[in-house]
Amino acid sequence: MTSRAFSVPRYAVASLTAVAVLAPVLLIFWQSFLNAPFFNPVRHLGFGSYAFIFEDPDFWTAFLNSVVIATGMAVIALPLGAALAFLLTRTDLPWQRTIEVLVLVPVFVSPMVLAFGYVVAMGPVGFYSLWAKDLFGDVPWNVYSLLSIAVIAGLTHVPHVYLYSSAALKSLGSDVEEAARIVGANPLKVALHVSLPMTMPALLYAAVLVFFLGFELFGLPLVLGDPEGHLVLATYLYKLTNKLGTPSYHLMAAVAVCIIAVTFPLVLLQRWLLKTAGKYVSVKGKATRQKTLPLGNWKWLAFLIVLLWLAFTIVVPISGIALRAFVEQWGEGIKLSEVLTLANFRQVFDQSDQVRAVINTLLIGTLGGAVAVACYAAVGLAGHRQHGAVARILDYLVLIPRAVPGLLAGLAFLWLFLFVPGLKELRNTIVSVWVAYTVVWLAYGLRLITGALLQIAPELEESARTVGAAPSRVLKDVTLPLIRFGLLASWLLVFMIFEREYSTGVYLLGQGTEVIGSMLVSLWGAGAIDQVAALSLINIGLVAIGLAVALRFGVRLHE
Amino acid sequence: MSKTGNSLVVTDLHLQYGDNQILKGVSMTLAPGEVVALLGASGSGKTTLLRSVAGLEEPSRGRIAIGDAVLFDSAAGIDIPAEKRNLGLVFQSYALWPHKTVFDNVAYGLRLRNVPASEVGARVTQALGNLGLGALAQRLPHQLSGGQQQRVAIARALVYNPPVVLMDEPLSNLDAKLREEARAWLRELIVRLGLSALVVTHDQTEAMAMSDKILLLNYGQIEQQGTPEDMYNRPQSQFTAEFMGSNNHLPGTIAEVAQDRALLAGDGFRLWGTSRGKVAVGDKAMGIIRLERMRIAQGPGENRIPAELITAMFMGDRSEHLFKLGALRLRGYGTDARAGVDGYLELPANDLWVFAASS
Repeated sequence: MTSRAFSVPRYAVASLTAVAVLAPVLLIFWQSFLNAPFFNPVRHLGFGSYAFIFEDPDFWTAFLNSVVIATGMAVIALPLGAALAFLLTRTDLPWQRTIEVLVLVPVFVSPMVLAFGYVVAMGPVGFYSLWAKDLFGDVPWNVYSLLSIAVIAGLTHVPHVYLYSSAALKSLGSDVEEAARIVGANPLKVALHVSLPMTMPALLYAAVLVFFLGFELFGLPLVLGDPEGHLVLATYLYKLTNKLGTPSYHLMAAVAVCIIAVTFPLVLLQRWLLKTAGKYVSVKGKATRQKTLPLGNWKWLAFLIVLLWLAFTIVVPISGIALRAFVEQWGEGIKLSEVLTLANFRQVFDQSDQVRAVINTLLIGTLGGAVAVACYAAVGLAGHRQHGAVARILDYLVLIPRAVPGLLAGLAFLWLFLFVPGLKELRNTIVSVWVAYTVVWLAYGLRLITGALLQIAPELEESARTVGAAPSRVLKDVTLPLIRFGLLASWLLVFMIFEREYSTGVYLLGQGTEVIGSMLVSLWGAGAIDQVAALSLINIGLVAIGLAVALRFGVRLHE
Repeated sequence: MSKTGNSLVVTDLHLQYGDNQILKGVSMTLAPGEVVALLGASGSGKTTLLRSVAGLEEPSRGRIAIGDAVLFDSAAGIDIPAEKRNLGLVFQSYALWPHKTVFDNVAYGLRLRNVPASEVGARVTQALGNLGLGALAQRLPHQLSGGQQQRVAIARALVYNPPVVLMDEPLSNLDAKLREEARAWLRELIVRLGLSALVVTHDQTEAMAMSDKILLLNYGQIEQQGTPEDMYNRPQSQFTAEFMGSNNHLPGTIAEVAQDRALLAGDGFRLWGTSRGKVAVGDKAMGIIRLERMRIAQGPGENRIPAELITAMFMGDRSEHLFKLGALRLRGYGTDARAGVDGYLELPANDLWVFAASS
């Protein structure tokens, strides 16, 4: 499709994308080199803000903590995720189908919600802690230590590794493994000598991804790191305002640039790894019906370990929230049966801002998700079957928002909505949050769309051209109808992602722009535990509905 | 590879996926130094049978043994895992390990058998030399052509001297032109090294060219087995007749029976043929004759029918003529490119097989 008639909309889409992606990032960069907020009349260029944060020991502690947590996460999540993928794709582990679905839950539940769940379940006076105290006389854990944060973050990121390694294992032809069996390798040797080396590129990619996610971590350390004062880069940035008492945007921007300086190379590294991962594809064998590996009695041990992991990452935090949402208060010496109540939910629905948060969250997921998918589709189609400059630029443009953590993107969009004429009017509407969400999740959404577009054989479009359809007709009559299911599936996934998102809305939170995610951060800061519990449960419910619909329609929950 | 080894014996093998019966009681024998082809259409169970021997499928019933060594026996509860069967298998896709060099691909089986490093080197070099791959030892699989990859896959399966080599459609991944050369080369290799081989193929020409014995499978059962000549010239069923060559079909009714001959009457013809199986006067029947056995004749005569020439197709070494007889279309070979004229076709009674129509 290289017709000139079609190039005008393509350039328009590309330009709009460039503006939406670059404006916030450039604003952050510019702000970081000023000595005061950019809207101050008195300000000048310089490295003052960098000098300030580099002299602040808290910054270096936070940086170190981020590195430690990110490394710890990779070390924990990588072997467990790879092992889980092997168990679920290659062996006769019981209940595979159910586990495959449950594994995805931590991916779609907001980290803020999970973190809160661990506090109410396993914090010093959490449900499980007090039950443990009754049993052992003491609480044998401390969820607020740096190690605990790394362990919890690591265990809740096992699904990310699982997704990539199971995809690699599934696309690995069974014949190469069978060939090893035939020449005399036992199942363990097959796994070590053939499956593992051949999925190594995917594992490496997952390791970088998890490290990258660890560096961006916000909700978990915000909630769990607070009591003992453990800061990571994102929470350091978030707390800078408290530190100086005034909005120190220039300092925040400098921290943001430091974070991006680490994450952007990681994004480029991921991209490169993904390309090299395709190296083996050309000689990949043929997938045939596979005999699953019988684990014998070991399967019960493996099953037990998987169950323990599921219990820790799903059952414990979510049951904690569910319980906390229905009690007036909780602490030592309180009997559960005496404090059961629906008051927390009544409280939520009595407050107009929280009702708005629920409604806005629903709107941004459904309507907003649909419009976002339409935008992603426009960007995807602009680059579809194109090899020119536009496609290449788009290709790199979408990587940028991926490197900017949601918290920072939200901050940059706040500035834009505060001071850009034409946008100012939208500041107090949910549209501002929607724009930020859409840009932050651009890379993810686009991957869904291109995934659907790649399913279409080029001949289908080419044959439409040869029978006389102009490119716009091909789009309308062939391409779009063929990716219809892909678009619907993307909508569902984007719905769940938008329900789950919290950090992007934090700085945009104001009257009219409430969403559950940012509301949770704000209520948590104010210590309104009852309402956090109720809203968290509502949030989990919304995600669960999305998940149930997705499963009902057989949507693939990952690429 | 040992000529003194024992026979591979498969007895009454059954296999099913759920309710789907794939193998319905297959028995076969492969003597040392023999090449047996498993022939059949897709879904006939030929690959499943091969994979069952290899230990990659789990039959529900039956027995597989090589000499005294029982590989599988449902009654005795024996199912030796694939890696302990010591067989060689050449995969249809070759299944070379992309992260190992050619040398390491071939050496892997020896290393698993704890062969000392110096001997591994010598044996791999010899195996690669046998297959004309000496210079490619340090290449990675994706740097090889399809034909070279196939040879590496064969070297990998032979290097530890398995008693039987299993080959799953060994030629199907090669280009048509290359396939004919590879067929001759593979047959030469098998003869030169005295291999016992079980070869799966869907191509009857390939099966006839490469093997000493053919097993024709049809929906999980053996339709017929025998030497290539037997299978081609003396099919016991219409299925075998159809599968083994290119045929003309003449549907009709039996008008007369005399010993092993039957008179087949159809739309515009009455021809004597050789009855295969039981036929009786009045039965619906199908006459089948190989394309190359039908002759173009100049005038009327015994077992000749008049036919109108529709077109002739030049094939290089011969011409193929298409004739019309009522609604029937008959194909025959001639040497003269376009010279076929309306005339007569002779269908010798010995070559026209008459099968009772299966109802």
